[in-house]
Amino acid sequence: MSAIEALYILDEHNKPTLEHVYTGHPPSASTLLPLYLAHPSPRSSLIYLPSTNPPTLLFSVLQDRLLFFSPCSVDTDPLFVLEFIHRVADALEEFLGSPLLASKIENSYDVVAQVLAEMCDGGSINTTEANVLRDVVETSTWMGKLLGGVGLPSSSPALNASSSAFALQKPSLPPTTLASGTAIPWRRSNVRHTSNELYVDIVETLSVTLAPSGRPLSAFANGSIAFTCKVSGVPELLLTLTTPSGRTGVERSMQLPVFHPCVRLARWREQPGTLSFVPPDGRFVLAGYEVDLLGDQPLTTSNKSKVPNLNLPATVSVQTGLGSYGADFEVRLNISTRFVGNSSGLSSSAMSSLSNNLNRPSASRAASGDAKTPVVENLVVSIPIPPTVRNISDLRPSKGEAHWDPGDGALEWRLAAKEVASVGSAGAVLRCTVVGPAGDEDVEDAAAAGMTNLRVDTYDYDESGAYQSSTPDTNTVTNGKIEKDVGRVKQNAVLMPTSATVSFSVKGWLPSGIKVDSLNLDIRKSKGLGEGVRPYKGVKYLTVSRGGVEARC
Amino acid sequence: MESLSRISSLLETARDLTLEASASLPSRRPIKPLPPVQIKKLLDSRSERDVLDGLRRVIAMQYAQPPQPTLTFFPAVLKTLSNPYPSTRPLVYNYLIHHAELDPDTALLSINTVQKSLSDQNPRVRAMALKTMAGIRVPVISQIVSLAIKKGVSDLSPLVRKAAALACVKCVRLDETTRPQVEEYLAVLLGDKQYYVAGAAVQAFVEVCGTDGKLEMIHPCYRRLCRMVVDMDEWGQLAWLRLGTVYARRCFPRRTKRTKRVQTREQQAKDFYEDLEPREEEEQETEYDEQEVMDQDLTLFLTSIQPLLQSRNSAVILAVTKAYLYLSPATYLQHAIGPLIALLRSPQDIQQVALHNIVQVCLVHPQHFVPYQRHFLLKSTEPSDIRGLKLEILTLIFPFCSKEIQNLVLAELEHFSRSPDPSLVRESVRAIGRCAQSPNIATSRRCMTLLLNQIHSSDHNLVGEAMEVIRHLIQRTPNEHRKTVVRLAKNLDHLTSPTARASIVWLVGEFAGLDIGEGVAADVLRILLKGYVGEEEGVRAQIMLLAAKVYLGWLNSRKNTNGNDGAVDGGNADTGLISSGTNDDGEDRGFREERAVSEIEKPQPIELLWQHTLLLARYTPSYHLRDRARLYRALLSTPSSTELASLLLLAPKPVPQAPSPSEARRDYLLGSTSLIVGEGLRSVDSLPDWIEEGKEPDSGVRDEGEVRQEYGGKVEGAKEVSAGQRLDEVLATKKGKTLDAWLNDEEESEDESGSEDATSEEGTEGSSDEESEYESESDDDEQAGLVR
Repeated sequence: MSAIEALYILDEHNKPTLEHVYTGHPPSASTLLPLYLAHPSPRSSLIYLPSTNPPTLLFSVLQDRLLFFSPCSVDTDPLFVLEFIHRVADALEEFLGSPLLASKIENSYDVVAQVLAEMCDGGSINTTEANVLRDVVETSTWMGKLLGGVGLPSSSPALNASSSAFALQKPSLPPTTLASGTAIPWRRSNVRHTSNELYVDIVETLSVTLAPSGRPLSAFANGSIAFTCKVSGVPELLLTLTTPSGRTGVERSMQLPVFHPCVRLARWREQPGTLSFVPPDGRFVLAGYEVDLLGDQPLTTSNKSKVPNLNLPATVSVQTGLGSYGADFEVRLNISTRFVGNSSGLSSSAMSSLSNNLNRPSASRAASGDAKTPVVENLVVSIPIPPTVRNISDLRPSKGEAHWDPGDGALEWRLAAKEVASVGSAGAVLRCTVVGPAGDEDVEDAAAAGMTNLRVDTYDYDESGAYQSSTPDTNTVTNGKIEKDVGRVKQNAVLMPTSATVSFSVKGWLPSGIKVDSLNLDIRKSKGLGEGVRPYKGVKYLTVSRGGVEARC
Repeated sequence: MESLSRISSLLETARDLTLEASASLPSRRPIKPLPPVQIKKLLDSRSERDVLDGLRRVIAMQYAQPPQPTLTFFPAVLKTLSNPYPSTRPLVYNYLIHHAELDPDTALLSINTVQKSLSDQNPRVRAMALKTMAGIRVPVISQIVSLAIKKGVSDLSPLVRKAAALACVKCVRLDETTRPQVEEYLAVLLGDKQYYVAGAAVQAFVEVCGTDGKLEMIHPCYRRLCRMVVDMDEWGQLAWLRLGTVYARRCFPRRTKRTKRVQTREQQAKDFYEDLEPREEEEQETEYDEQEVMDQDLTLFLTSIQPLLQSRNSAVILAVTKAYLYLSPATYLQHAIGPLIALLRSPQDIQQVALHNIVQVCLVHPQHFVPYQRHFLLKSTEPSDIRGLKLEILTLIFPFCSKEIQNLVLAELEHFSRSPDPSLVRESVRAIGRCAQSPNIATSRRCMTLLLNQIHSSDHNLVGEAMEVIRHLIQRTPNEHRKTVVRLAKNLDHLTSPTARASIVWLVGEFAGLDIGEGVAADVLRILLKGYVGEEEGVRAQIMLLAAKVYLGWLNSRKNTNGNDGAVDGGNADTGLISSGTNDDGEDRGFREERAVSEIEKPQPIELLWQHTLLLARYTPSYHLRDRARLYRALLSTPSSTELASLLLLAPKPVPQAPSPSEARRDYLLGSTSLIVGEGLRSVDSLPDWIEEGKEPDSGVRDEGEVRQEYGGKVEGAKEVSAGQRLDEVLATKKGKTLDAWLNDEEESEDESGSEDATSEEGTEGSSDEESEYESESDDDEQAGLVR
């Protein structure tokens, strides 16, 4: 029915690294791989392979260059399998460390085997919370070695590596605590930390489309709140978010939120912006949301005068068909002056400690707002070039480096941090000349001469037009030179790029303006937290655009 | 929700470097391999460290690619089970499950030890032993497994009960004859008060009995499961959603209430006067709205799953959408649209599946998606299948959008029709074509204008695709587009794309039959014939067809006029017949006679054109064209009898349909793999039709769950609270204590809860008896219903 039949992991060279069969006898990874590779890239996450026996549905996820396969012989819910694969990847990362590498898997097959067996039991998905798996999976690798080496009595209990320092005093786990660990299905039992820390990372990924006029067609920021909790016992946390327009703005700006199961939904519904939860131990994603940066204003052509100001750190615009033959195009990169600072202050602006000024939220806001200007980093402009372009004969960036490889199809223009700082308000410009396919110039010229007649800009659809009334201009063949140029322009238009995208990252700034107002640890409701422990709290904001700002032309 | 590793990859810049470094490294063997003898020695050792080391090596060998033979270690590995170390056990169990099938006899040796662990003090050890035992794929032990499950079902620890639930699946898979026993166990487990045990039980039930399994097992716990679903883990929620959807279809007949539609003032006024006249029945039908009347229990299910829409698991969100779509689209579906859109934030693999499902919902209820149009704007970096799906959604919502948004969509489509990617060009041009089918004339004209503009592009591919779509549009409403055809014909002078030319020529030919186009068609033919040599084969074929149609049209019209003349003046008719008879020259007779005929009667230009075409065709290199020419010549060889030719050539063409590409997948279930793949796959999941009124099980059967809860005593009532609330309670009672105090406390409370468990266990067992009684009763009820 809805069983996970097997899970295979292949390394970056597509060599099978791990095979774990849950139920049945699915085809092996080496059988599936050639069939998978036979499909043209980019490959779909679900491929139907009717040639195997029985016909197999192959689910695949590519993560950190590792390829995860899960074959399936009956119709299942595809998202069910894909979500499971993502969870496996997350769990393996929790145990083996981030990022996940094939060599790490090969080094610790015993841990991986336990994790996989625990996550899915005979095809039915069992425990997928990475944190709870810590209670079950035996990982005392280095501790065991250490103890053995020193010659201490080695009695490694069923505890995880991080808390095994305490394990020495408790050789075997009392059954009671084990059973009680299940009270919170996402938090492992017996959490102890010597340093108590809480970190909130809010990451927003930009996804903006700009019309040729520069007007935004759509502008979204996809936000995720990643949380790192290293607090002993069972802490009870309250995270409050706010926006520049106050707490009430949170509901409006954070749209379509999804939450980790630990978040109390009722509290959020009562008071949007308030997240009350008992966190899992370690790192997890607390919530996801999206922000419509255009707000609710309707897309109308009438209010052209009032172009919504998105305040993007970097935008780009492309002008095509320049030069006498229309073979040139120009990319202009504009960087908002707000985001150009000294590249020295980067690391300090990245982390603004909340521990001191949490009680004075206004101060913390001011601190992250103007004291250190957020700076644009890793700026890359990418321009997809049509495959018919034979060469780009001339690449002239006013700043930075531009590179084009005919194989990969896109022109990349990188600006280092220093160069970003020196880009003025006028912006940086990249001008290129394209060369079309060889050999057909003469033919096209001839064809183009005839084509100019067709340059009807507004082809009004009108029923009243008659066949004979509009006389075809027979006298157009007057100026051969102009004819030819226009023809070349026309021909080169096909070679022009149709869009450009900008990638960058900005630390310490969010397009939505969402901020952490406060993060409180409710001492009264928490348990197991030592007396007088005040955890260190840190907040980080990051805005990322991975080809997310796209300008059309 | 984005997965954690993706978020961390954004946060950590060093990560990419590590990945790159690892990619350049050849994957290496981590541990020095030891000879089997030495590994055996390690396994036989007394030191836990050595045993663990040996087991690790064996597991590594088992998983290594290509796998190394590890079966020889089986006895040695099993022997380590006798060690008291907890650390080695998971590894041994793992080995055992993996190898049991290969060497069942040796595997059986271990059963005794595993069975002993079933009564270990530590619940985790018990759970693990139960899990392992069920996982051993040796059919002989099925009865032992069944007994073990029975023991597990009544275990105090929920961990073990959960393991028991999942073991049920494996037990049935191992030996089908255990099914009746396993179903009994499941019935008990489904009533478990621990939400994650119940979740696992639902998972197991769906797996063992299927969604169309024994409903009578679900009845008593239906309401309780509805309330518990929020607290189950995601996979339990998924199973319950799947089961609940089918259950609802099978237990709640679709009742509709007809309510009188709220009338506008005009209608009221009209009605006032129309009262005097007797009204037709049909009219009255429209006065009523059909409104769903939902069973209370169905409403309970539908509202209880609403909080799940904020789950981070995309599969859960889709399953809720599925339930809403198939159970109550009118009332609930709109809540699910937003969360469905939110899935577009997910990683690309999930995004693609989500889009397929959005299209599926959009086919039925496009209006819900209009506010989210901006989410479907394309990105140049997306893979082609995602772009295709987004284009489809844009066209589906197009008729429901305001004018501004329509302009936006059209601009979007126009932009991508200029893309260098041919498949994207095709998709977007066709999308414009689908937009043009809108009932609003102004809109479809705008689309038409857009398409006509595309013809002037220098991109052959685009011109061809655009022309194809224009042709389809014209065919749909030929009378409105006569002038367009003329305009298109004018473009033949310049167009170079062969597919576009062929399309236009065909269109002109189609319109040759209509009175207005006649002169144009002949003229176009004349011009085209001049350039016949330079045309491509497809265009040549169309020119020939055009010639045949023009000639046929001419013959027909001449016949008509002749006929009319004949009606007036009988004499002429005979001469007409004779002349046409003489015109009857087969290809055998050749030119001489043709010339002779033309001497008799001054040849018509159209006739000459036709002859010329045939000549040109006769000397075309393509066999295919020559064959065709011969066919047409034979068809039209007798000018007097054009009926057959008219039937063949002037037959009304069926109007081409350009349905949305996913229209073909409409019948597949939302959330199924068939929907994504586009082929009907072997599926166990199917959605039954709504049960007929009167055949449904009595709603009383579900009450029993309530009765039983009371039966179970107050303990169960106390357990009904959600996880969060429980936590709150626990936390509230234990504030401001040191860790040690708290830990001690915990132990005590655990003991308490253990005793609670014990009492409630009795309760459930007692009630399961009760339940069987009720089951038989409900059976009777059903039968009685049938008899009735």
